[in-house]
Amino acid sequence: MKFLKVMPLHGPNIWTYRPVLEAWVDIGELEDSPSNTIPGFYERLTSWLPSLEEHRCGVGEKGGFLLRLREGTWPGHILEHVTIELQNLAGMQTGFGKARETSTRGVYKVVVRSRHAKVSRECMDAARDLVMAAIEDKPFDVPATITRLRDIADSYCLGPSTACIVDAATERKIPSVRLNEGNLVQLGYGASQHRIWTAETDQTSAIAESISSDKNLTKTLLQACGVPVPEGRLVESPQDAWEAAEEIGVPVVVKPVDGNHGRGVTTELMTRAEVESAYQLALDEGSGVIVERFVRGNEHRLLVVGGKVVAAARGESASVTGDGRSTVAELIDQQINTDPRRGTTDADPLNLILADEDSAVKFEIMRQGFQPDSIPPKGKQVLIQRNGNVAFDVTDQVHPSIAAAAALAARIVGLDIAGVDMVVEDVSRPFVEQRGAIVEVNAGPGLLMHLKPADGKARPVGQAIIDSLFPANKSGRIPIVGITGTLGKSSVARLVSRLLHLSGKYVGLTCKDGLYLDQRQVEKGDRASCGSAHKVLLNRSVDAAVLVSSAQSILSEGMAYDRCQVGIVTNIIGAEGLDNFYIHEPDQVYNVLRTQVDIVLPDGVAVLNAQDPLVLKMAELCDGSVTLFSQDPEISAVTEHRKQGGRAVFVRYGSVVMAAGKDETTLVELASIPLLKGGAAIHQIDNVLAAVGAAWALGLSQELIRTGIETFKAE
Amino acid sequence: MEVSRIRALRGPNLWSRHTAIEAIVTCNDAECSIGDNPDFEARLRARFPEIGFLQPAGHQGGISVAHILEVAALNLQKQAGCTVTFSCTVQTVEAGTYQVVVEYGEEAVGRLAFEIAQTLCRSAIDDTSFDLDSALTRLRELDEDERLGPSTGSIVYAALARGIPYRRLTSGSMVQFGWGSQQRRIQAAETDDTSAIAQSIAQDKELTKKLLDAAGVPIPFGRPVLDEDDAWVAAAEIGFPVVVKPQDGNQGKGVTVNIVGRDQLQIAYAAASAISSSIMVERYLPGHDYRLLVVGGKVVAAARRDPPQVIGDGTHSVRELVEIVNSDPRRSEGHATALTKIRLDEIALARLSIQGFTVDSIPPKGSRVILRNNANLSTGGSATDVTDDVHPEVAARAVAAAQMIGLDICGVDVVCDSVLKPLEEQGGGVIEVNAAPGLRMHLQPSYGKARAVGEAIISTMFKAGDDARIPVVAVSGTNGKTTTVRLISHLLRQNGKRVGMTNSDGVYIENQRIDTGDCSGPKSARNVLLHPDVDAAVFETARGGVLREGLAFDRCDVAVVTNIGIGDHLGLSYIHTVDDLAVVKRVVVQNVAPTGTAVLNAADPMVVKMAASCPGSVTFFASDCHHPVMATHRTKGLRVVYLDGKEVVAAEGVIEQRIALKDIPLTRNGTIGFQIENAMAAIAAAWALGVDWKVIRAGVATFVNDAATAPGRFNVYDYKGATLIADYGHNPDAIIALVNAIDNMSAKRRFVVISGAGDRRDEDISQQTEILGNAFDEVILYQDQCQRGRADGEVLALLQQGLTKATRAKKVEEIRGEFAATDLALSRLKTGDLCLILIDQVDEALAHISKRIAEA
Repeated sequence: MKFLKVMPLHGPNIWTYRPVLEAWVDIGELEDSPSNTIPGFYERLTSWLPSLEEHRCGVGEKGGFLLRLREGTWPGHILEHVTIELQNLAGMQTGFGKARETSTRGVYKVVVRSRHAKVSRECMDAARDLVMAAIEDKPFDVPATITRLRDIADSYCLGPSTACIVDAATERKIPSVRLNEGNLVQLGYGASQHRIWTAETDQTSAIAESISSDKNLTKTLLQACGVPVPEGRLVESPQDAWEAAEEIGVPVVVKPVDGNHGRGVTTELMTRAEVESAYQLALDEGSGVIVERFVRGNEHRLLVVGGKVVAAARGESASVTGDGRSTVAELIDQQINTDPRRGTTDADPLNLILADEDSAVKFEIMRQGFQPDSIPPKGKQVLIQRNGNVAFDVTDQVHPSIAAAAALAARIVGLDIAGVDMVVEDVSRPFVEQRGAIVEVNAGPGLLMHLKPADGKARPVGQAIIDSLFPANKSGRIPIVGITGTLGKSSVARLVSRLLHLSGKYVGLTCKDGLYLDQRQVEKGDRASCGSAHKVLLNRSVDAAVLVSSAQSILSEGMAYDRCQVGIVTNIIGAEGLDNFYIHEPDQVYNVLRTQVDIVLPDGVAVLNAQDPLVLKMAELCDGSVTLFSQDPEISAVTEHRKQGGRAVFVRYGSVVMAAGKDETTLVELASIPLLKGGAAIHQIDNVLAAVGAAWALGLSQELIRTGIETFKAE
Repeated sequence: MEVSRIRALRGPNLWSRHTAIEAIVTCNDAECSIGDNPDFEARLRARFPEIGFLQPAGHQGGISVAHILEVAALNLQKQAGCTVTFSCTVQTVEAGTYQVVVEYGEEAVGRLAFEIAQTLCRSAIDDTSFDLDSALTRLRELDEDERLGPSTGSIVYAALARGIPYRRLTSGSMVQFGWGSQQRRIQAAETDDTSAIAQSIAQDKELTKKLLDAAGVPIPFGRPVLDEDDAWVAAAEIGFPVVVKPQDGNQGKGVTVNIVGRDQLQIAYAAASAISSSIMVERYLPGHDYRLLVVGGKVVAAARRDPPQVIGDGTHSVRELVEIVNSDPRRSEGHATALTKIRLDEIALARLSIQGFTVDSIPPKGSRVILRNNANLSTGGSATDVTDDVHPEVAARAVAAAQMIGLDICGVDVVCDSVLKPLEEQGGGVIEVNAAPGLRMHLQPSYGKARAVGEAIISTMFKAGDDARIPVVAVSGTNGKTTTVRLISHLLRQNGKRVGMTNSDGVYIENQRIDTGDCSGPKSARNVLLHPDVDAAVFETARGGVLREGLAFDRCDVAVVTNIGIGDHLGLSYIHTVDDLAVVKRVVVQNVAPTGTAVLNAADPMVVKMAASCPGSVTFFASDCHHPVMATHRTKGLRVVYLDGKEVVAAEGVIEQRIALKDIPLTRNGTIGFQIENAMAAIAAAWALGVDWKVIRAGVATFVNDAATAPGRFNVYDYKGATLIADYGHNPDAIIALVNAIDNMSAKRRFVVISGAGDRRDEDISQQTEILGNAFDEVILYQDQCQRGRADGEVLALLQQGLTKATRAKKVEEIRGEFAATDLALSRLKTGDLCLILIDQVDEALAHISKRIAEA
């Protein structure tokens, strides 16, 4: 089984609306060996990947694919299903796949849905090796392969916080574009976009982040604004420590100014002797000592988004009770790590506690006079972790005064998204009466604890972030005019771009003449490609985009955008230049170019050539409305369409006419359109009609369209 | 010479508007006229020749050590380069004790200068050695550490020029502009609008290039490489010459340019590897380095940056050529001058070796020898201003780059032959985009015009005419401050403002108390100005804070002085007379904005005198409109507020607004005289702030003065048919006002419960009981918890002393404890009686009274 070509299709394509990986596979002689003819193949494959049972395939029910395997199917198809299954086992959930014969014997196009091209490619390579091993009855280390693929998927796929925001955007039909291998994602297109980077947005102020990372400054600012914090100060000596404790009021915490992991921290001190000895302990661990008010209670994390608390989680301490036989480490494994919610992956709501690896845990144990391998007496309780598991959802219990304090803290620091850490005994009671305190304000807070709490409801925090970036009336979209067809695409594109420019928009244009930004040619040469369109959509200045896609680019790259406002198909003439893609007939070209119409938004418009039967046929595919153009106003397609109240642009008595249902408006005489060169460039008439249809769909005024056309000169 | 106390006055103060050190210096007899000792003066001048004149020309008389310290501390700072001018020395009422005041720019520098001044003085007295140079170096270095850096400084000065107040939030470069809800923040050339994500993007050179390319900005193409061999392959793909650099470096560390061969590439790769594990190879753009500063979508400055370099003359070695260049007086070691000395360090040696030189090589005549890859001023590079040369197309690319990355302030590094032509014409490009760019090269270019980049940044943060201030009202005076503050706050709240208020009970934000205790000082006021939810601020401004630290603000919109009367707290902090006190209270009036208003009590001659020091306009208030001050002011067409029968009248020329006393519940239908005064002051303040009269009327009508809203301010209760009044008044004026108010209320028998706060003068404590003894039938004295340094029983004795002259009091009892005293009084009350309780621990006492009333 040989890959002739493997290409990621980045957007909508001839197979589906979503990005896929397409491989051209030559199975060679295996064409003569369907699955039912290879002894032991079925058993090997199903024992290696029992979860293939779930694949419904064309049969439509569980076990469908296995049925096909038993009846006999070919390696291309098997490759498709095994790739999908490996993707799923690697943690990249997918379902869509296709395998189709081409006109060449033994060559198949195998397509799988892909959330990340590199991960899919790795899975497909592994799937080929796996299938071949099963065919040839050779050993194959399935678990090792899955672990490797899982690691690859983890390193390339979005982290859980970012993913939940992106999913919420998708839910709102806001497109997303990954900008790097990390978690930097663009939501929306062009000038309407926002960027996020985990739980940071492009509205997140760098200064606010500096403030939040400076705990002392944060505390000073919060305190100045009356937000309760653990008051305290630097102290100079044991005696000064006690004086500070008296000023603050006991109980107090004594800690090093720059320690970490709780080293040198002693809490809940009441007496002078305790404070003075704690001073020495703290001094040994840091360059200075702080005495602070001890705040009784549990640590809570409140997530503030756009000025409101949208989720809250409570932390709880974890401890074990000695049985007189087991070591502390064993007790942890028996009493804590057996909790089914604990695990090692991102998907587990709680972490395993490993006393030997977690220095904070180790220190906590040592502070109580134990080592991980010492055996506490029977009945002795040993504290393992303070506030380690901030994963108990308490969102619905938060007292308004606590929510107000958290929101104020975020506002004081200046963060649009903040994780506010607060210690209170009871989050449902007023803040002040329980002498709680805000201990930290975090920028870019992790969202996992709210998405997968160990206990309680998951909170739609991604949605809250999306709603704060995109108010209900914002879609993150800019008008996109997508143009495809055999001839005339670039002329239509230049004309539409010009009309949009006249309407005051900063237009990004890609076509076979180059890439243009605001009428300036930035790149020369054929730019009717996915990559160039992608660039335009990244551009924060672009108010509107006019993007040409050739059949080749749709086939080899897919579309750069998920949906468009206007989709234009000029015509389908032959299938020239597509032989390489196993496409030889205009009917097959129809299947390629229809993609442009498939992705028209429900409130968008397809502008179609009514005189081209294949193009006309696309009208039924459109989610939005259809505007037909035709040089002949009387063809039945146009008259029928108008009877239904539809729009059409055509030529009558030597003028371009815009018709909506029965109403007709004469826009401009053909004779006054310079592009037509007084009739010498008659082939441009269709292009003018298409451009007028698009401009009309974009809501440009007739005056502007007329003026634009009358002043547009071909180069 | 004994220095007993040093304070930093951090805002406008008793002495001046300058920040200053204030010290109390006590001198013995000889020290009081030490200036008469010519030997001393000679020794002093020998040690510090620049000390200047010890007293103004033509003046005679004793020059004390205090004067010497003043002059020395001021001139030491001047010699260290600080821009300070103000100082003074004032003799206190105690012989030989002086207050010395010396301006500072940085508090730590001011304190150090004062310390060094003492050392200098002692060494001149004792004829011991004094090292002036090391003293000045210490001061200079401390000042350099403390003061704002050049970038931040330029923005702050631009803000000050626009009248925008500022405050440093850290000892570094984080600064807050403006107050309350109008505040903004910067950190060096970064604003609170600067996006953290944009900064991260600018750090990622690959991503930056990808985005710039999408924005149509020319960039040098290239790619990250895996190892040295891959670097060689990449260089071949891209085409020579190439640049090798760390992917995430800064300040040009590890960057090697113009590489044409494998050997150079090898050295360059090693240099880059030392900085980072991810290395980039990209096309080398020939030409000069330019920095274009984009602020708010415009190029506001541009500089050509040349690396440290020398030009061979065919006779001198590289080392000698560098020495010649470094002998330029404009080159120094630090940031103080426009150029920095070129260093011949390892980086320079490595750079030399790439060019085939050592420090001892003699470069051929006319050859350019580059000593560093980057053109930073701090490593010996130079900057030439080219702002006026930038071609609009070049500027447009720089702006597009900033916009694409998402930075509001952005330094765009361009390489091209000349900024006079579009980049596309000359194969130039943008090589880097910098967040928080340094501004020094534009503020102090080595050559060419300085550019007002601080102003440009301020203009993007604040619209023209926006000074980021919120209305600030400061209320001062002996009595009535707290009620006036509350009423003004209430009126502003009615006007839709979120009000921050400080008074002697606490700090309030939108009616919510966020701090308790006496908050009438500058610290609490500063906290209010920091709070993001405050649209207007009303500050009770007590004398203590003014004396201790100065004001919390540079100027206010309205200053109210309720009264001075016969004073309160006299005897503390060298404030012995009512005149002294008036000088302190006057500070708020002196610091009214030119567009602001002082609201002054026309019936109090001390307050009337303050009108002359007000930079803004004056509104007088007094019950009697025929009072000469009122009449004169009114005749001039200026604003007055007075009482006409049962109406408060606000008049300006012929225009009048009238509010009936019955519509001001605070005055209890006009029966409480001092509340009428407070109401008039508050009305005048709201009027000065332009609050609509409808709002003012509605506001005074809805203002409730009970224990909940105004604890301890004439809270009236009904207890078993008797009238109970709780008040915090503790000075003779307050007591007189209370007595006047209570005289208007009918009562069968009159009781009073009283203690005295220990920090008043003896005569003030006894005077209280003297007044009360003439107005009440029965007096219960108790000992205040707040003894403030007095011995047990001392205050009670003073209270008793006042009562010896009392004419009305028939019965006087002493009891320990505030609650016990209250309970005793309550137990005596019958229907129709009246009892005034002068409470001390306000919250606790009111809680106790409420409890008793609930029980009744």
